[in-house]
Amino acid sequence: MTKRVTRRELLTMLAATGTSATVLNASAALGMIPDTRLGIPEIPRADPINRPSIVILGAGISGLTAAYELDKAGYDCVVLEAAPKAGGRCLTVRHGDLIDEVGNPQICDFDDEPHMYFNAGPARIPSSHRNLMHYCKALGVELEIFINENKECYYQDDAMFKGKPIKNRVFTTNARGFMAEIMAKNFNNDELERPFDRYEAEALISAMRAFGDLDADELYKGSFRAGYAKGGFIDHGEQTEVVALHELLKSRFMNSALTANEGETGPVLFQPVGGMDKIVQGFARELRNKIYYDVVVTSVQLQDNGVAIEYQHNGIKYLVEADYCFNCIPTHLMTGIDNNFPADYQEAMHHVRRGEAYKSAFQTKTRFWEKDDIYGGITWTNQPIRQIWYPPHGLFKEKGVILAAYDFGGGMHFTRLSQEERLETAIRQGEKVHSDYRQQVEKGITIAWHRMNHMLGCAARWSSSFGGMSAREERLYHTLQAPAGGRHYTIGDQVSLHTAWQESAILSAHWAIGDMVKRMGGTSSMPGRRV
Amino acid sequence: MIKSIVRILLAMAVLHSGLAVAQQYNQVVQGSQSLANKVCVTCHGANGKGNPVVGAPRLAEIEPWYLRKQLQAFRGEFRGTQKDYIPGFEMQDSVARMSDEEIEAVVAYIGTWHSNENPPSIAGNATRGSELYLACAACHGVNGEGNEALAAPGLARKDDWYLYRQLKLFQSGYRGSHPEDLSGRTMRTGIANIENDQDINDVLTYINGL
Repeated sequence: MTKRVTRRELLTMLAATGTSATVLNASAALGMIPDTRLGIPEIPRADPINRPSIVILGAGISGLTAAYELDKAGYDCVVLEAAPKAGGRCLTVRHGDLIDEVGNPQICDFDDEPHMYFNAGPARIPSSHRNLMHYCKALGVELEIFINENKECYYQDDAMFKGKPIKNRVFTTNARGFMAEIMAKNFNNDELERPFDRYEAEALISAMRAFGDLDADELYKGSFRAGYAKGGFIDHGEQTEVVALHELLKSRFMNSALTANEGETGPVLFQPVGGMDKIVQGFARELRNKIYYDVVVTSVQLQDNGVAIEYQHNGIKYLVEADYCFNCIPTHLMTGIDNNFPADYQEAMHHVRRGEAYKSAFQTKTRFWEKDDIYGGITWTNQPIRQIWYPPHGLFKEKGVILAAYDFGGGMHFTRLSQEERLETAIRQGEKVHSDYRQQVEKGITIAWHRMNHMLGCAARWSSSFGGMSAREERLYHTLQAPAGGRHYTIGDQVSLHTAWQESAILSAHWAIGDMVKRMGGTSSMPGRRV
Repeated sequence: MIKSIVRILLAMAVLHSGLAVAQQYNQVVQGSQSLANKVCVTCHGANGKGNPVVGAPRLAEIEPWYLRKQLQAFRGEFRGTQKDYIPGFEMQDSVARMSDEEIEAVVAYIGTWHSNENPPSIAGNATRGSELYLACAACHGVNGEGNEALAAPGLARKDDWYLYRQLKLFQSGYRGSHPEDLSGRTMRTGIANIENDQDINDVLTYINGL
């Protein structure tokens, strides 16, 4: 039998790890959000008589950003894209769309309605991502609120309550109550009072009481914050039952449930009305006929004063020479394309590993979650599906599209399965949260980013350890960021320290443009050259 | 544009409900590019130059008979059924739905590909490797030129990282274990003298010099 630890012993344990006071400091550091000041570089207007030429490889968010900015400044831009459509991983799937997974092509048969879409790649825009927000505004992309945490959603963990799901409000209220009680009770001890004066100590205890909804004796006896078992409006409310702390401690969600809206998901989150690819469509509209599709790039060669690119289209070979190249082809695919990049640049391209993220979605017969007071938000489970997302849009409509699985970790669990197995597994695991799940879902799609044609991977991974980048990785990162031969820029979220976000892709393009402008130095904004 | 094609195809699918998604897909993607350019190059690289980062071997200048045989082996589940060897099962999935005609078309198209050899990545003892290679030469030829009659592919000018992986797969039984894979089973018994990584590195260093 496990030895019981008293509260006193627990406090000693915390102190031994340097916690009790530092916990308070540490919490401030929790929501670390990278700085994303508006990064659009000032680009001198190009000489209209002798326009510098730019070939952009890949119509992902970074390629589109580079093309949009440089085209606006008068540069001669073309975008070469391998797929028949733009966007890269910024992919929204709707009725009739092809999901181009190598070996498992699917055509989406969701109902043909504006709200019946699925953002298979990025799906959230934090308000702090100012550059992406800027482009949404500039391109006329209408935004609506995205709901990330919703107290009405569930936590389901096979390890607690025998696998029965509990509402987020029940989990978090109880977890906070127990934690506050432990803190407050012990804080009365002289030993703990020492660093604080009496008023500070009272203020802190009062805050803890409020944090955990404790009674006057600093005891947690349940809280209406966890919801009403019944009543509360016309009749007296009845509290939901207090759940046992020991039960909550069985779940790893104790580590994350209280920080659900920290960091990147702390700011207000948005989604474009009608799908994330409205951003792509906005860029493509501005770039009109400058994007060429179905292009297979076969060679990228640095030259003395530019870059030569060979490609094929409709079985015909072409050569295009340009002053500069901005390349957002994933590095793990660029290693399969002939090039004469320097050895250290090659080393960097070979080092980056490809991400394995997986998502799937179901069209549902009814919006069954709305009957459970759920309108948007995320349910968490310890099963491989990890999450269920409920759409914050299309409220009260007959049907909806829910995210049925999102494996954002390193696992290839779903990717290894057949399409039928993937969908069946998602149903079986979803049933643990919603008992009528199987009856509710009707059409499913899956997106295994590791296998998507022209991409073969999700967000790039630079660091081979959880401890962060090694000195070698840091060196390789800066090597890949700098232009090969002063002319070829690798761009995309793959050349950022915060991969998987569109903001990173944009900032990477901005960085490359800024560097190019600096290198061009004497570029005059007047036509012709100085004589 | 592609969406309208898909819509037409979906409309057709309602009329002919037997039309599989794979067929629709092929019709869509073959509209502008050959199947090989649409599907093979993503992993195997432009002109089949190979891409070790995604575990895809060089296809340029591969013997057509060997390529055909391997495509059939993947399709027939002689190869690539182990889900923990990702490049193999990805390949198996990719060719599982291919028809004989498509395999022929792909083999013919890949026959037009040329690419430079990739630099060696393995450094071992070539002298020791030459002794180990004696057992290989019986089927693969003294110059690593291969022998179709014995179903033994050429080894000279093949990427060493790829040969390394294949030797490991044969050693572990991931290749050459299927009861009907006769040449694969022969290969497994034929490499009995290659026991460890040092042996593999030495023999591949010798092959790199052929």
